[in-house]
Amino acid sequence: MEKTSFFKRPAVQTLLASVLCAVLGIVLGYIILCFMNAEHAGEGMAAILTNFFKYRIASTNTLMKYMGSFLVKSVPVILCAEAILFAYKAGLFNIGVAGQYTVGIIASLYTSLALGWNWALCILAAIVAGAVWGFIAGCFKAFFNVNEVIAGIMLNWIGLYICNIILGGAKCMNQSKSETYEISDVNPSGLLPGFMQDFFGGNQYMTIAIPITVIVAIIILVVLNKTTFGYELKATGHNKEAAKYSGMNAKRNIILTLVISGAIAGMAAGLYYLTGVEHFKIASSVPGMGFSGIAVAFLGGLHPIGAIIAGLFVEYITLGGQYLNTNYYNPQVADLMISIIIYLCGFVLFFRTILNRPGKVKVNANAEPAKPADKAEEKEV
Amino acid sequence: MEDYVIEMLHITKEFPGIIANDDITLQLKRGEIHALLGENGAGKSTLMSVLFGLYTPEKGVIKKDGKEVKINNPNDATDLGIGMVHQHFMLVDIFTVLDNIILGSEPSKFGFLTKAEARKKVIDLSNKYNLKVDPDAMIEDITVGMQQRVEILKMLYRDNDILIFDEPTAVLTPQEIEELMKIMKDLAAEGKSILFITHKLNEIMEVDDRCSILRKGKYIGTVDVKNTTKEELSSMMVGRNVKFAVDKEEAKPTDEVLKVENVCVKSKLHSNDAVHNVSFNVRAGEIVCIAGIDGNGQTEFVGALTGLDDISSGKITLCGEDITKKSIRYKNTHGMSHIPEDRHKHGLVLDYTLEENMILQRYFEPEFSKHGIIKKADMRKYSDRLTQAFDVRSGQGAKTIVRSMSGGNQQKAIVAREMDRQHELLIAVQPTRGLDVGAIEYIHKEIVKERDAGKAILLVSLELDEVMNLSDRILVMYEGEIVGEVDPKKTTLQELGLYMSGAKRDDRKEAK
Amino acid sequence: MKKKLLSVLLVASMVATMFVGCGSSSSSDSASDATTATEEGAADAAASDKKIAMITDSGDITDMSFNQTTYEASKAFAEKNGVDFQYYKPTEDSDDARVASFENAVTDGYNVIIVPGYLFAGMIAQVAEDYPNVTIIALDCSEGDFQGAGMDTLPENVCSFTYQEELAGYMAGYAAVKEGYTKLGFLGGMAVPAVIRYGFGFVQGCNDAAVELGNASDVAVNYVYGGQFYGDDAITAQMDTWYSNGTEIVFACGGGIYTSACEAATKPGVDGKVIGVDVDQSGTIENAYGVKGLCVTSAMKGLAATVDATLTDVFAGNWANYSGKIENLGIVSGTDPSLNYVQLPMDGWTMTNFTVDDYKALVAAMNDGTVKVSNSTDAMPSTEIKVTEFDNIH
Repeated sequence: MEKTSFFKRPAVQTLLASVLCAVLGIVLGYIILCFMNAEHAGEGMAAILTNFFKYRIASTNTLMKYMGSFLVKSVPVILCAEAILFAYKAGLFNIGVAGQYTVGIIASLYTSLALGWNWALCILAAIVAGAVWGFIAGCFKAFFNVNEVIAGIMLNWIGLYICNIILGGAKCMNQSKSETYEISDVNPSGLLPGFMQDFFGGNQYMTIAIPITVIVAIIILVVLNKTTFGYELKATGHNKEAAKYSGMNAKRNIILTLVISGAIAGMAAGLYYLTGVEHFKIASSVPGMGFSGIAVAFLGGLHPIGAIIAGLFVEYITLGGQYLNTNYYNPQVADLMISIIIYLCGFVLFFRTILNRPGKVKVNANAEPAKPADKAEEKEV
Repeated sequence: MEDYVIEMLHITKEFPGIIANDDITLQLKRGEIHALLGENGAGKSTLMSVLFGLYTPEKGVIKKDGKEVKINNPNDATDLGIGMVHQHFMLVDIFTVLDNIILGSEPSKFGFLTKAEARKKVIDLSNKYNLKVDPDAMIEDITVGMQQRVEILKMLYRDNDILIFDEPTAVLTPQEIEELMKIMKDLAAEGKSILFITHKLNEIMEVDDRCSILRKGKYIGTVDVKNTTKEELSSMMVGRNVKFAVDKEEAKPTDEVLKVENVCVKSKLHSNDAVHNVSFNVRAGEIVCIAGIDGNGQTEFVGALTGLDDISSGKITLCGEDITKKSIRYKNTHGMSHIPEDRHKHGLVLDYTLEENMILQRYFEPEFSKHGIIKKADMRKYSDRLTQAFDVRSGQGAKTIVRSMSGGNQQKAIVAREMDRQHELLIAVQPTRGLDVGAIEYIHKEIVKERDAGKAILLVSLELDEVMNLSDRILVMYEGEIVGEVDPKKTTLQELGLYMSGAKRDDRKEAK
Repeated sequence: MKKKLLSVLLVASMVATMFVGCGSSSSSDSASDATTATEEGAADAAASDKKIAMITDSGDITDMSFNQTTYEASKAFAEKNGVDFQYYKPTEDSDDARVASFENAVTDGYNVIIVPGYLFAGMIAQVAEDYPNVTIIALDCSEGDFQGAGMDTLPENVCSFTYQEELAGYMAGYAAVKEGYTKLGFLGGMAVPAVIRYGFGFVQGCNDAAVELGNASDVAVNYVYGGQFYGDDAITAQMDTWYSNGTEIVFACGGGIYTSACEAATKPGVDGKVIGVDVDQSGTIENAYGVKGLCVTSAMKGLAATVDATLTDVFAGNWANYSGKIENLGIVSGTDPSLNYVQLPMDGWTMTNFTVDDYKALVAAMNDGTVKVSNSTDAMPSTEIKVTEFDNIH
């Protein structure tokens, strides 16, 4: 067995590439800060990176509370990333996650606010709604060979407008505030049960959504790597023709993959909106969560656990922007940094390719053939 | 003092963990045809990449006309007059021959194309070397053999005098091969120097002056072709003696296993049938071969037979059961094994490990899974048994990513998998494509063993040597139809060639 | 397994670098925190110890309306008095994010927090009692808003100001009809109480003026809510329809929504006018669209004046005047309209049929109760003029 060099291992390369993206994003963010106001750039960067840890002096309780907020807000983007990477492993680019997330919002808030269901049923409704949305895209792909990206984008908008109509109605929306009612006022049983709220500074939004997210990631990891279903999905993703050749049912797998991916996206919405931290407001564009999920999935190296870490990172920087001193900087700088990081995510594969470049190194193009001796010396040093 | 036009002296090129070229010397004389012979993975491609400036060697020098040169990129190579006909042509289908030839070095004045001069040069060259190319024909309308000549013209148009042919005969009919050989000789007679990469010994014997042999990255030697034999060349190439004729007994066919009746398949490219009214049968204990030039409906027919493509009409019976409309999985589990034509497209999931590929059609069976969870230990055991039995070599055993394995071992893995599966019929499509002599010999032996074990074998091959050596009956397919059935013992390559090119046909079954 | 372990390690190191990054800065941070703390402790009573912060609502400080006015007024006061000032922008439009911004500001040492907009009632309910030493000045949070957030009375460290928008709307409508316009439009932002009050006041004003002029049968008002506080294509399209069907002037009532009305009003062949809101928007609008006199007048509420007056009092030690109160600001002077918290701008008056004197007379009448304006937001006021209500655009 040959020993592969440390930096040639795919896992290491994926990680290096992701870390490179993150670091590069931060560095570029710093440069932007320098352009805006060079004098305070260091301070600004420190504020973003210190983030809610600034409360550590004032009060551990506050610190933990914001740590909790941070976790709560990371849930939907992580789950959206899981949904995307799951489909991606099967060779499907589920850009419809945004729409599946949106119908998840409809289902969870309507069942909770208008129908007064218990939280467990509300989550279930969100999962089913997302799954149905995925199912529609899957059927289009499987039976009519409509590209899932096209079908997904269309369904995103359909979902958004249905959402505006249903949740904009008097049953769900507080017309005077133009946002959906507080679940805690209308139907307390519709709120997710708390999870370690005391530990997290009494953060009322800390719910079982957090452990569920971790469990979902682990289940995805297991399904992809241990089961025959995962085996089929990945085979289809790697090589559709070979999957067909080996007798796998491509149509069934396409539909099932999008159903599951949609279900995860729907669940993401349920697990976020049923904490009460966020309300739905009439929107003129599809929630960005599904799209951020794409970036997070890639930044996480398309690994279910990597997606958790990437999601936390992205949310951390997003939250960091509000700690900038607005006398020097516009708080949207953090959004800019995130955009850059997301943009760089597209280069994860590119970075991997660079790390992977074979012997074609231009350095000694003009060198004499006697070079290897020098190389050996270098190694000894 | 010999007159060498190109010398590659003591070239060493290392990749991490492997020395692809180890102190290799290749000297090409002016006006000779020089064969570069070696198994897959012997280092031929690496050596050519070095010559083209794609790789920089760690050691060694390249000399042109006795003077040392640096080749850092393909442009340098072009400037030195080195040109190459690739295995896969680099032509734009919807352009004319002339446009393709001048592509990349368009003659122009003030930004406007001046084709007249170019046309004259192309016609002159075509006449001089008897290439018979029509400069105004569309590439998509001319035959593969013609396309290859366009590639040759491209090199000549650029005044290249060192021509490299990378396995040029793989796609040609016997007649076309003969003509190509003649063209190569004409070129050499005009002072062009030709480097001919191949592993077909017949061709070397016919056309080459000298032959350099590589094995496992090492330089074995250079021989004068007129002083050597095929056997000597092959033993230099593989490192041992190789038998060319396949040892086999007379076939003793028994029951009918596969029966194909009037099968038609619609073409994806045009409105006619890609496969039209094909009927034949295969019995247990015989090897039936479908021969023909690439693109005459073999792929579509196998697709219909195995279920990869839709069948438009006709009936397929396997072991007495009508399987025309059955799913691929049903066929897989009811007696059909299939070594696919394209191992990368169909046969393997390249990014899966060897063991995962070994259970590609069987992962759901109780032997390999329980409650939907794959039994990794059993998968490993099974894979190890097969790789051992069929001598599949890989870097990290069962855990090797198949993409990193050599083509021969990938193919062996497929052969192992398909032969080990429960089956009555083995469909082997080009089972030795791109493999070296050693691997071919091995796979041929295994196929004959299968036959003798009472299996029915349907072989689809483009290699005439393989067709003649291996099969018990030959069906020739031309434009989607079976145009003739011949007995390999009673026919000649010439007769086969006539069938394959449509010049001759039996009207045996066209009464319907 | 090894791979996974490795990935975990690498991630850990990544996270570690992240924190090392902040670690280097943390020492200076904590130092400054400490100094702030001691300062607070040392001179609690001194007014100079106060620092002013503002938190934006769903908009930004460049919205040419509510947030911007509050921001500019606060900043002007801070600069004049040499006080620390900073604004905070919540990461999203939610109570949770607003609370985060508040606690962030307090941790930074700010103890006078100005929050513009009814959205802040929920935040105040959550933080006011936990931070008794922090003064919170809310704008536009009504009693109803606080009750909606579960607060029946305000704690001592909070005060709020609401405005009688219906009066300003009434003035604008009255003035427009008196000026001679007969085909009018009302384009609201979201149908929140403040906007509704503006709108219903506008309709009442139009009606009363028409009745006085005796042309009630000729005057008609189109009435719609955009559903958002900024213009877009759909809203512009609606405005196009209005203007091309004869509407002469539109009261664009809601943040940046005036852009849609202005775009439609300045299209070739349309000679439309608009009425601004909250602040005197005529300068902004004329600069943006290059049409003189495009903005005829604006229904103003005295945000800047409120901010300035309140901060002055807070720094003068007169917080007790405001503590725990919700003040509903409207007309305080019948003789000098510029002192009122709802008014039309008298600088650069452009109307000719309805003069400054007419305006002063109107204000006097409103002040002494001769003119009554209903502040109900329940239903469209009954009128003699024709009011056509359209469905919300978004």
